[in-house]
Amino acid sequence: MKTARLMRFVVVMLALFVTSLVSAQAINSGAQPIALNATLGESLTLTLSAATVNFTLAAGSAANAGSTNITATTAWTLKPGRTALGVYAYFAAAATALIDGSGDSIPSSAFFISDNAGASTALTNTVAFGGANAGLQIATVPITAANRTSSRTDVMVYNINLTGGTLPQLPAGTYTGTLNIQAQATP
Amino acid sequence: MVAVAAAMLVASASAQVRNSAANPIALNAVLTQSLSVNLSGNAVNFNLVASSANNPGSTTVTATTSWVLNNIVSLVSLYAFFGSSTSALTDGAGDNIPSADFQLSDNGGAFTALTNTVAFGGANAGLNLFNTLVFGNNKGTHTDVMKFNINLSPLPNLPPGNYTGTLTIQAQAI
Repeated sequence: MKTARLMRFVVVMLALFVTSLVSAQAINSGAQPIALNATLGESLTLTLSAATVNFTLAAGSAANAGSTNITATTAWTLKPGRTALGVYAYFAAAATALIDGSGDSIPSSAFFISDNAGASTALTNTVAFGGANAGLQIATVPITAANRTSSRTDVMVYNINLTGGTLPQLPAGTYTGTLNIQAQATP
Repeated sequence: MVAVAAAMLVASASAQVRNSAANPIALNAVLTQSLSVNLSGNAVNFNLVASSANNPGSTTVTATTSWVLNNIVSLVSLYAFFGSSTSALTDGAGDNIPSADFQLSDNGGAFTALTNTVAFGGANAGLNLFNTLVFGNNKGTHTDVMKFNINLSPLPNLPPGNYTGTLTIQAQAI
């Protein structure tokens, strides 16, 4: 009995609803706008897996490997119009890449980097940063619409070659220096 | 003295009440149907991070929908929509954020992209926020607290720039 009454109520309500839908016209509220403003900034970052490399030097040796390799991860989001991205390693001065503080130096030409298992190359070029003849372009990336936002990694292996010039006579000591890694997007 | 009193009694007994004609005033009160949406704010900013799925809007916006209806049964619905699904936000240089990457969370619910074709706006550019069936008591309100997010993970090559657009909130009763 209760079920029948309920069914009757449902049927009546459905009939009312259908009738209402058929006879009624839609009523619309005013359209309320929300202004959206989203800003995507240009960015270019370079992070290193480590910030220290040690060398145990052997006098007159060509092979003085760094204690560890370092991975540089370059990530970018660039505006249209940028056509190239470069990653550079450099010292501030070619003649004094590493010094002992007593006037003895290891020049950048004796400092070598192998990037991503490539050939080991001395830092003897003038690049976008650093001193003249004190740098090396590690990577060149053409930028297109397909890679305006992207990243790359460079695994750098280091070596100091003490065979050139007067370096076989380099006095014993502790030689320190700072190698910088930096990226640039152009134009 | 007795004569005066007698005269007054006679006059009183013979006088009749006089009424003017009845002048009707027709009363006609109309409560018109109404449906309105009010927003707590009308601007939302986003600081985008390239390729990130999480780029929340700077503020929430509360939509208050109010209605007075004269149907026996009505269905009140609220929609959020863009004019076009492909260019919900644009930098004016041909780069767009589609409505599929614009997400809305209503009253703490899951973030949902605006990918449906609804009563207003462009095809595949909308989202139905609520539907309420109204019986008999045809006056009511509904509050929707909306949070916004832009998902840039499907747009890894979106160039830097300033992207603007208009999200519209509108209600309909049938």
